[in-house]
Amino acid sequence: MSTGEKKRLNGEAEEDDDVDVDGDGLDAWERTYTDERSWEALQEDESGLLRPIDNKAIYHAQYRRRLRSLSTTAVRIQKGLIRFLYIVVDLSRAASEMDFRPSRMVVIAKHVEAFIREFFDQNPLSQIGLVTIKDGVAHPLTELGGSPESHIKALMGKMECSGDSSLQNALDLVRGYLDQIPSYGHREVLILYSALSTCDPGDITETIQKCKESKIRCSVIGLSAEMFICKHLCQETGGLYSVAMDEAHFKELMLEHAPPPPAIAEFAIANLIKMGFPQRAAEGSISICSCHKEAKVGDGYICPRCKARVCELPTECRICGLTLVSSPHLARSYHHLFPIAPFDEVSPRQNELLHRPVKTCFGCQQSLLNPGNKPGLSVVCPKCKQYFCVDCDIYIHESLHNCPGCESFRHS
Amino acid sequence: MKFQIEDVTVYFPYDNIYPEQYSYMVELKRALDAKGHCLLEMPTGTGKTIALLSLITSYSLSKPQRQVKLIYCTRTVHEMEKTLAELKLLHNYQIKHLGPAAGILAIGLSSRKNLCVNPTVLAAENRDSVDAACRKLTASWVRALAAENPNVPTCEFFENYERAASAAVLPPGVYTLQDLRAYGREKGWCPYFLARHMVQFANVVVYSYQYLLDPKVAGIISKEMQKESVVVFDEAHNIDNVCIEALSVSVRSKTLDGASRNLSRINQEIERFKATDAGRLRAEYNRLVEGLAQRGNLAATDTWLANPALPDDILKEAVPGNIRRAEHFLHVLRRLVQYLRGRLDTENVEKESPISFVASLNTHAGIDQKTLKFCYDRLHSLMLTLEITDTDEFLHIQTICDFATLVGTYSRGFSIIIEPFDERMPHIPDPVLQLSCHDASLAIKPVFDRFQSVVITSGTLSPIDLYPRLLNFHPVVSRSFTMSLTRDCICPMVLTRGSDQLPVSTKFDMRSDPGVARNYGKLLVEMVSVVPDGIVCFFVSYSYMDGIINSWNETGVLKEIMQHKLVFIETQDVVETTLALDNYRRACDCGRGAVFFSVARGKVAEGIDFDRHYGRLVIMFGIPFQYTLSKILIARLEYLRDTFQIKEGDFLTFDALRQAAQCVGRVIRSKADYGMMIFADKRYSRHDKRSKLPGWILSHLRDANLNLSTDMALHIAREFLRKMAQPYDKTGTGGRKTLLSQEDLEKMAENGVQEMLF
Repeated sequence: MSTGEKKRLNGEAEEDDDVDVDGDGLDAWERTYTDERSWEALQEDESGLLRPIDNKAIYHAQYRRRLRSLSTTAVRIQKGLIRFLYIVVDLSRAASEMDFRPSRMVVIAKHVEAFIREFFDQNPLSQIGLVTIKDGVAHPLTELGGSPESHIKALMGKMECSGDSSLQNALDLVRGYLDQIPSYGHREVLILYSALSTCDPGDITETIQKCKESKIRCSVIGLSAEMFICKHLCQETGGLYSVAMDEAHFKELMLEHAPPPPAIAEFAIANLIKMGFPQRAAEGSISICSCHKEAKVGDGYICPRCKARVCELPTECRICGLTLVSSPHLARSYHHLFPIAPFDEVSPRQNELLHRPVKTCFGCQQSLLNPGNKPGLSVVCPKCKQYFCVDCDIYIHESLHNCPGCESFRHS
Repeated sequence: MKFQIEDVTVYFPYDNIYPEQYSYMVELKRALDAKGHCLLEMPTGTGKTIALLSLITSYSLSKPQRQVKLIYCTRTVHEMEKTLAELKLLHNYQIKHLGPAAGILAIGLSSRKNLCVNPTVLAAENRDSVDAACRKLTASWVRALAAENPNVPTCEFFENYERAASAAVLPPGVYTLQDLRAYGREKGWCPYFLARHMVQFANVVVYSYQYLLDPKVAGIISKEMQKESVVVFDEAHNIDNVCIEALSVSVRSKTLDGASRNLSRINQEIERFKATDAGRLRAEYNRLVEGLAQRGNLAATDTWLANPALPDDILKEAVPGNIRRAEHFLHVLRRLVQYLRGRLDTENVEKESPISFVASLNTHAGIDQKTLKFCYDRLHSLMLTLEITDTDEFLHIQTICDFATLVGTYSRGFSIIIEPFDERMPHIPDPVLQLSCHDASLAIKPVFDRFQSVVITSGTLSPIDLYPRLLNFHPVVSRSFTMSLTRDCICPMVLTRGSDQLPVSTKFDMRSDPGVARNYGKLLVEMVSVVPDGIVCFFVSYSYMDGIINSWNETGVLKEIMQHKLVFIETQDVVETTLALDNYRRACDCGRGAVFFSVARGKVAEGIDFDRHYGRLVIMFGIPFQYTLSKILIARLEYLRDTFQIKEGDFLTFDALRQAAQCVGRVIRSKADYGMMIFADKRYSRHDKRSKLPGWILSHLRDANLNLSTDMALHIAREFLRKMAQPYDKTGTGGRKTLLSQEDLEKMAENGVQEMLF
């Protein structure tokens, strides 16, 4: 084989490799490492051995910090529980940039999906709509609705980007929709903005003023740098403006918008809302669904007022306009109003100083001692003075929303 | 807040103080104690002005036996108003804490144009015609005439002011120009003359550089200031150029034509007076025999032409005989104008020293040095005698006499350069005769001699050891302060290569290289896609900017930029530029984003701030060296080398780098702000160039940011902008305390000052 041929073959082989890399990112054995970056979780101990970093402690510290920052600001603030949120996704040219891997657009889609699920988990009474900006025009992707799946499906089908971005068009469109919703709902817009400029047909400051008048809370998460107009928009309408450093930070910023925000003062008038608690339709019964307009078997809810069938909760009855919810939805929203106080941290030494050190967690009955019989990190509830381990602390505050200590104390 | 610096109690109107402000005050106080001059560099946005004002006013409050008068010189009226507003705040605070005993009188002084309240006078469009319009109403002979004939118009404000005589004083307080006008309107007194009168009594006077440096003005306004004054030159990085300009004159053929017209007009007046009132001319003659026109006896309204030479150099002698008679003087002037016209009519560039110029003038026109020296005063006296009020018409002959007096007085530090056309446009004949001053120390010397402390301060005075040599004085304190920052909010970078790794530079031999223009274009295109809101680009000259924009337009770079941001360009036309700036700001405000192309040493580079979102990035394309083939510059460089032993290269680099620093310093005007600076030229990475940048930029210029290529710069920019967008703590945390409260200062006083100072 001549050298020339060899070279050509080599070239081909290299090309093949390239194609491979483009095709499915990395080789399988590399992939696990890039995702988890397990080498970063190592540290040297005093004897020079490599040990995994105590992730739990770091994670817990982060969590405590977040909890504290939330609880300091949110002492007894009226919260908007019924939220009508539009997520505006900027799909202009800038969204195709590669500074987030593999591209901004993919990262946004991934986290919007997670956010929608988290949002409905925390705000079962609320509704979301999706809008995209592309080629300088804003397109409504989905209408306001309470079903996570339909939103996610709609978004995944539309992921391509081009053209300029226009903040004003998006705001005008969203404002048109949000103006129609009843006064008890909280109007919010969350804009995920990739671009660094906005090409508007008119004066955007007027639009911002109109949004302010309509009491729409506009928040922006930027993906590249701080923009003056976004900052101005958020300041005027009382929203949050943040810029993501990297993917993890972006996720964190997104999730900050999941818990209900404090209600806007002049808007927070106490208001009675008529609600229906529909029954689940009997197994095997056939009825015409009011949302899909076709006959369906079983698996639905019956509006208590007009007896129409709807597919999922919470929603508004298409026939009589009654808000339909289920009682677990209400209960799950309830904890935002009465959060459990953050637990006080007990350093291992403090625990030793007690005359009868607490050895087990009140929640899970696991030992609070680290291997080696040294007391580990623990927390104490300020009300019932029960000790909990770190895992239970997180579980109680993030999922349970009830303190087992206080609850059992009340019954006995 | 209130705190002690050694034996002075300082009243500071804010609750917190930056550490560098504190150390600035300490240094300033030491300079005042030592009764010496000082040179202080502190970056803009750190509150220089208020630190200065509060220390000096507190100093005289603490030491009643040493009343210090503050003379504060600013470059523009806008800065003057800002300073006075700041002083007002401080004054209110001091009154609140000390009672009315702390009352001071502070006034701003500006030209008639800015102070006049008479609507008929204000109708005139420029400064000179406002001055002339005022004189028409207030000159002593006009008023004398009006006393006999009520139909002669006078200014009621001035009449009221005169009638009030010694009762016309300002109560203590701080008066901005606007306050002065309001007060004048209310009382019916002329604010301009009131302010000029009050200057001698005021504790603080704020006015423009020219009032101290230009001998023509200083002789009238500033001659009665006592020695115990503190003179402050703010934003003084260009002070040497101001000094030079104050003593330089240029004569064009237009000037000569105008001068001839003026002369014939004067001739007519003389004829008229001869016919009607010959006694006046004779009286003037007698006065001139006795000695120089005694300006002391003249009414305030009649003084407007002080000698352009410095006070020490004016001879207290009688005017020489050959120009005592009005007609003879006119003849001399005619011959002078004729001679100058002959000199202008030349084919090639000529350079001459004043001595040989005077000698040739003597042989060709028969005017000797002494006669020349007296030209200005003689003209002044003549115009007074002839009762000429429309002085704006006579600017040309004044320029000629100005030239004559200067050339007759000084033999060193000047040269006369005649250029038949502009070097850059050899086809257009535009002869100009320039008397250019090379020695900045000449004009400022009387200021250093007369006043006990002179403070020169600016954001960019680096290298700080060069200024004392240029201005020929010995500062007791010269220090450069850095900015204490809660976060690294400036990000200077030196970009030496394009994305193709070829060096970029505006060096003469590389300038026309299309690769450099392409690389610069590429840099800008990449930057507009990652930087939000406003970007400012500075080029080395108008011609270079025109050239590069043309080539960008042809290669489509401009179109690519326009996809992200709008483009605005500075032109030599002020109105056009103002309009462009206005629209640039609007584009930044509404989120469209914009790029502004500007020129170093231009109006924009000197006076316009691009703070906050108006300037997130400045790109300095090339090093803004002066046009080194300019005859004036060459002459000045020679002089500097021979007299002060400053090497040509050193001076040129110094001058270019201070301009560059001035340009990039436009982006950051306060600590809460942030911005990036790109020095796009391979020569910036050389140590001799870089080290001349001011300390506050150098301290942020990390080694990793030197010698970058476009893609690396892009990466750094992305990271920086993300980092800066995060919320931050304004007071600074842990070891880096950047806002000091009163307790902090008291603690510092206990522990000794030095350890907290950096």
